[in-house]
Amino acid sequence: MADQQDVALMAHLLRRAGFGASRDEIEAKAAQGYDSVVEELLNPSSVPNVEEDLLMRYMPAYHEAAAIETNIQAWVWRMINTPRQLQEKMALFWHMIFCAGHSKIDSGQEMGRMIAMFREHGMGNFRNLLWLLSTSPAMVYYLDNSESHKENLNENYGRELLELFSLGVGKDEEFNYSEDDVKACARAFTGWNIAPSYPPFPYGRSPWEFRFDPADHDDSEKTFLGETGNLNGDDVLDIICKQPATARFVARHLYNFFVADDVQIPAWRLTPPRDMKAIEAMEQAYFDSGYEIKAVLEVLFKSDFFKAEDVRFAKVKNPAEMVVSTMRLVGEHRDIQPGLFEFSQEPKYMGMDLMNPPTVEGWHTGREWIDSGTLVERINFAADLMGNTELPGVQSLVGRLMAQGDSLTPDQFVAGCLDLTGPLIVTDDTLQQLRAHASKDGNLTTANQAEFSRRAGEMFQMIAATAEFQFE
Amino acid sequence: MSTHFFGLTSRTYEYSHSVGRNEFAGTGFRNPSDMAVDAEGTVYVVNRSYENRPDGVRVTACTLDEQYISEFATYGEEDGNFIWPAGIALDSEERLFITDEWLNRVTIMSKDGEFLGKWGTGGSGDGELDRPAGIAISEDGTVFIVDSRNSRVQKFTLDGQYLGKFGSHGSGPGELNMPWGIDLDKEGNVYVADWRNDRIQVFNSDGEWQASYGQSGDGVGQFNRPNGVAVDEDGDIYVADWLNDRVQVLAPDGRFVTQMVGDHVMSQWGKDKLLSNPDMIRQRALAFANDPTYERNFAHPCAVRVDSQGRVCVLDHTRGRIQVYSKVKDPVLV
Repeated sequence: MADQQDVALMAHLLRRAGFGASRDEIEAKAAQGYDSVVEELLNPSSVPNVEEDLLMRYMPAYHEAAAIETNIQAWVWRMINTPRQLQEKMALFWHMIFCAGHSKIDSGQEMGRMIAMFREHGMGNFRNLLWLLSTSPAMVYYLDNSESHKENLNENYGRELLELFSLGVGKDEEFNYSEDDVKACARAFTGWNIAPSYPPFPYGRSPWEFRFDPADHDDSEKTFLGETGNLNGDDVLDIICKQPATARFVARHLYNFFVADDVQIPAWRLTPPRDMKAIEAMEQAYFDSGYEIKAVLEVLFKSDFFKAEDVRFAKVKNPAEMVVSTMRLVGEHRDIQPGLFEFSQEPKYMGMDLMNPPTVEGWHTGREWIDSGTLVERINFAADLMGNTELPGVQSLVGRLMAQGDSLTPDQFVAGCLDLTGPLIVTDDTLQQLRAHASKDGNLTTANQAEFSRRAGEMFQMIAATAEFQFE
Repeated sequence: MSTHFFGLTSRTYEYSHSVGRNEFAGTGFRNPSDMAVDAEGTVYVVNRSYENRPDGVRVTACTLDEQYISEFATYGEEDGNFIWPAGIALDSEERLFITDEWLNRVTIMSKDGEFLGKWGTGGSGDGELDRPAGIAISEDGTVFIVDSRNSRVQKFTLDGQYLGKFGSHGSGPGELNMPWGIDLDKEGNVYVADWRNDRIQVFNSDGEWQASYGQSGDGVGQFNRPNGVAVDEDGDIYVADWLNDRVQVLAPDGRFVTQMVGDHVMSQWGKDKLLSNPDMIRQRALAFANDPTYERNFAHPCAVRVDSQGRVCVLDHTRGRIQVYSKVKDPVLV
């Protein structure tokens, strides 16, 4: 049987490599063993997938869904329910880096297809992922490569590929590329375009398709990052992937997403990583594996820097994590059922309009998720669910609390609730406030089960409103 | 035209025309799930739509000649409304019986959309329902309901009195796994689309197993989650082979006859939509040159029905239209 430390570590892993878990799941996984669970997370095909046929049967609109809201809803459902939690977390990770937005693309279906691509290939080879991104019709359109021609260059995709999708502006106070590199990169991708597709009326849009037009491709000589030749997009991707800056880019993003909040990407040239040794270990894995993201993730999740207690609850939950992890904890929408639409809009109310990032730079993370408006939304959302003792996950927590004894002192009551909702680590101030509240009604006893349930729900609600609950 | 498996039979199917377009209201359908056709050729289409477009949840009445008649019902739990409308059937008095997979009930409506009654309650006991899907009504007024998550078919009177059940969860003969569509032949035999077993099963009217046709796959006589089934006057069986995007035709003994993959040509309602959005006409021309099959083919066909004239009507989940075929029985010369 797993001890408390194992449970706390497993809870940490499942919060980061997934969207949290119920206490039952955490304990079962802890008993399975940490390394075994990491292997399972890294190899999603080893566990059952979402039952796609059932999903489409009950939600036929999810198939080729035109509406962006429907695509978001389907994605949130997957985040909540997929047994392949890391795979879905990686889809979110890449969506937050390889940003394309519905505000320009205006096709929910294409946004859904892009997320599906991240889901399928997000733990694969980074070179392949960049190729898929460069041939993604949605991205080709979003960053104007469809408007970049042999005789009339548009540098947008070439620039963002270097600045935001691979190298980053700079590292170790040096610049990673020049303006000439941007131009050469853009020229290499001329002719990478989109085939005509059916418009929305009267039977719905057809999926967009990539199409290479050799007549529109600049096949002349170029020099990119010091290499000269008649380079095309494939050549450019090869050159990009072997750069130390790309390894740094991948490592810093993974660290920021999975380990601890770091500065945002525009500051990376001048601000060194928060944990250089961790970054170097991941960079090494990137090159040793031939750019395999899974290999980098394996180093990350099995490292001491990930398991360390000082990085637990050191990351502000992004809105998708806040919504989905709370829903998973309380057991909401664990079946295919009506009513998900409103939930799926919650991340937007908290500042994260899924499938529609504010710019190609994406969302700033960490404490930038929190402002007076989003904080109220986050607290209200979580507290409403955590205090709802009708929900199966909350009932399960109440049942576990009851099993701790017929009579709990206020201190035991608070400790039990914090343990079951994390185990959550709180400051002394928060602890005293929770204890003070618990003390008002004295010991918590099972003599009156309805009252026990009410008080427990109220305590879970208060915990959801703490500052600490904003972190994971 | 459908493809034809020469040498077995002499049935072919000629595409006639299409009815409908994608639409949340009025002249079109949105994520339809089933349809019923009355003796006059009026078709009643159940539109599932989706949650953030509750206005699209409704029943559309029109003719197979594409004359719009009316629409009724909307999203909701109130009498006469639906959350997850699924199946529809007409009784001998031409009242509409519509199942709701979420509310676990059957709603009865007139052809004008007047609410006439409801019955059904959730559960797994006799007479209780767990996601009722397909529905068929025999001439003697027995209502057969595919009780999908209970993996069985239940029989009721027209006013919802429980009469019996058959089938249980499994993959053996007579066992079912999340069945969906249902139809009756003129002898009263019951054909069930055994959805997750990828086959059609036939029972007599007493619920005794008679035959199973098909297996998983995309080859001849194989299915990928068949959901709609219909039987015509000749006993030929039509199967909406949902995830294979086709309709397969089986002979009365279950042998494969032919398949239809879709032959759509723009419906009148579709043309009307384009006339009011002329910018899309040229876009479509470019797209058609790139891929002429996209609109032509079925996209998750979910229901197939045969009308009183023997026309075979195929409803698409995704494209919001019915493709109508006529059956030709002249000998095929090889």
